[in-house]
Amino acid sequence: MTVPGLPAQHEIVDPTGPPAPRRPVRVAVAGLGRAGIAHAAAVSSIPGCELVGVVDARAAARRDVRGLGYDAPSFGSVAKLVARTQPDALFVSAGWQERGPIARAALEAGVAVCVDPPIAPTLAEAAAVVRLAAERNTPLASCHALACHPVFARARAILASGALGEIRQVRSSTYLSRVFSPESQQRAAPAESAGGALVHSALDLLFVLLWLLGPPVQVRATSRRFYGPFEDEIHTMMALPGGAEVGLDCSWSVPGYPRQSSVIEAEGANGKMLISDDALEVALASGHGPLPSGPLRLGHSELPQAARFDLGGETLYLADASFLAWVAGGPPPAGRGDAALEALRVMDVVYESARDGGKPIAFVAP
Amino acid sequence: MSGSPRLLLATRSLVGVSLATRDRLLDVVARYREPESLAVTLSKAVGAGVDGVLASPLPVLLAAVAELKQTVPIYALLPALTEHERNDFEPGVEGLIERARGSAGLLARLRAGWSGLARPAALYRGDLARRLPLLIELEVARLSPRALKGVVLDACLTDLVLAAGKRAFFDSYCRFVRRRFGAAAGLETHNLGLLLARLREWDLRPDLVVGPLNPCGLMMKPSVAEVLDELKRTDVPVVAKELRAGGVVSLVRGAEFARSHGAYGLAPDLAEVEDVGTELRALGKG
Repeated sequence: MTVPGLPAQHEIVDPTGPPAPRRPVRVAVAGLGRAGIAHAAAVSSIPGCELVGVVDARAAARRDVRGLGYDAPSFGSVAKLVARTQPDALFVSAGWQERGPIARAALEAGVAVCVDPPIAPTLAEAAAVVRLAAERNTPLASCHALACHPVFARARAILASGALGEIRQVRSSTYLSRVFSPESQQRAAPAESAGGALVHSALDLLFVLLWLLGPPVQVRATSRRFYGPFEDEIHTMMALPGGAEVGLDCSWSVPGYPRQSSVIEAEGANGKMLISDDALEVALASGHGPLPSGPLRLGHSELPQAARFDLGGETLYLADASFLAWVAGGPPPAGRGDAALEALRVMDVVYESARDGGKPIAFVAP
Repeated sequence: MSGSPRLLLATRSLVGVSLATRDRLLDVVARYREPESLAVTLSKAVGAGVDGVLASPLPVLLAAVAELKQTVPIYALLPALTEHERNDFEPGVEGLIERARGSAGLLARLRAGWSGLARPAALYRGDLARRLPLLIELEVARLSPRALKGVVLDACLTDLVLAAGKRAFFDSYCRFVRRRFGAAAGLETHNLGLLLARLREWDLRPDLVVGPLNPCGLMMKPSVAEVLDELKRTDVPVVAKELRAGGVVSLVRGAEFARSHGAYGLAPDLAEVEDVGTELRALGKG
């Protein structure tokens, strides 16, 4: 497809094949709620992967996944699953309190682990899991699916090319219409949660900001609660080492967003870029490599659609396939353990600042 | 291909399920906030010659249908979930049955109870193939029997079972819908190439499969080439949706693409049409 007056799309957007493991991978899933079943479905459709077992302490959840047609053996504990099925990799979608112990048990058995974010309910526990993975030299990742969205992934390539020049300012937001009562907050953020809207619906965006721009040196944040003990809105400002400011606004209590919508606007010395679920829009003062000067819009549909299976979008497939490709000897995915831990460290500082009424707090990467 | 529609008007964007841009979705929701507005559009669609409306029996549709004297043929997309419910949806069938039972009328509960005698929870709890008929009974009961032309299983369930590769489920689902309602048995999918390939291997033939087809290849899984290849080989009537690839191409171009590659029918969404009467009439003639 060619945009009038612009180079052919393929010159700007080089098509990439889907990530795929180089050898057969035996995969298991722990936690059989909505996310766990989605992983089971994605894994079943990745070429070369076999779903060899599922685990959940709840008998009803094991029954339901069998009822959907997944015949892989099911177990009540990770120890039994590992002993009987010897998986190469485990996706962990269990409840907050269970994630850390399950991940540790699998890593200790030499099984690669991909945990739904956050890796564990506390920063200390998440850091311990990441440390264990490093000690065992076993792959650990967190499933940050937004980083696999074709538009956001393409935006990273453009930013990394330096097309925008020195970054001056970034604004970002993620909105969702989900929590409008104490009951709905309780459903969305169970009591054992580390927080509310930020950790449950904006952690992916926070991860992507760090992935695109690197860690901040200072953070300040304010939050508001409307429906319960956790924040329903949070406003964060992060300062980058060069002085640029990065804003992140998040709310899950705003009408008009039945589908979550995440947007990033970046302004640099050579132009602007707007990244959303719908499209990537770039306006450069001077052309950079294959990117022309002036406005360019790349719709989601014009970017490569690499996933071979769609389950409410293609990001889950891409995130899972990237992780399994790593397990089979390929390159690490965006959400590898140390990068995911850094996002949790920044989140911890954001919450600390919000508790302190917006006090600026220095962020020091370890 | 009796019961297989050539032209449907889809209303999924009313509950936020569409590739259309966020601005477009908000436009559509605002335009059809009042049941009268949707009723007028449904009436125009029927007047333009559509074979039916592809929609979930949710309050927004039921209120619009109630405004009309004429019967609007419905291809019921089940389970009926709003976008909020979709966000919280746990894939097991039992939760869906409980939810549907809570909002069903007495007659529907009685029918479901009768249907449940052959599929008792004590023996089959959680078994989607065995228990889905109860869910369908409860949800279809919200529609007039005269209006019901087909039942289409939502992609959120179709694709989960497709990934698991369960032939028996698809077989029993199609048999049940045809036998119980005398209606077309359909499947919605976002993995058209894979579903068509599996149906061919399994020697199954639902009355319609609804899936994305557009010149951009958006949502054509596992790949554009494989989808187009399966379209050449299949004898299942495929009804194309997401014709405009989220608004990138015109409806006419999307429809031409789908038909030229073997689509049996078209299902443009409210978010993909501006002038329902004129555009649907043109598609009907095309």
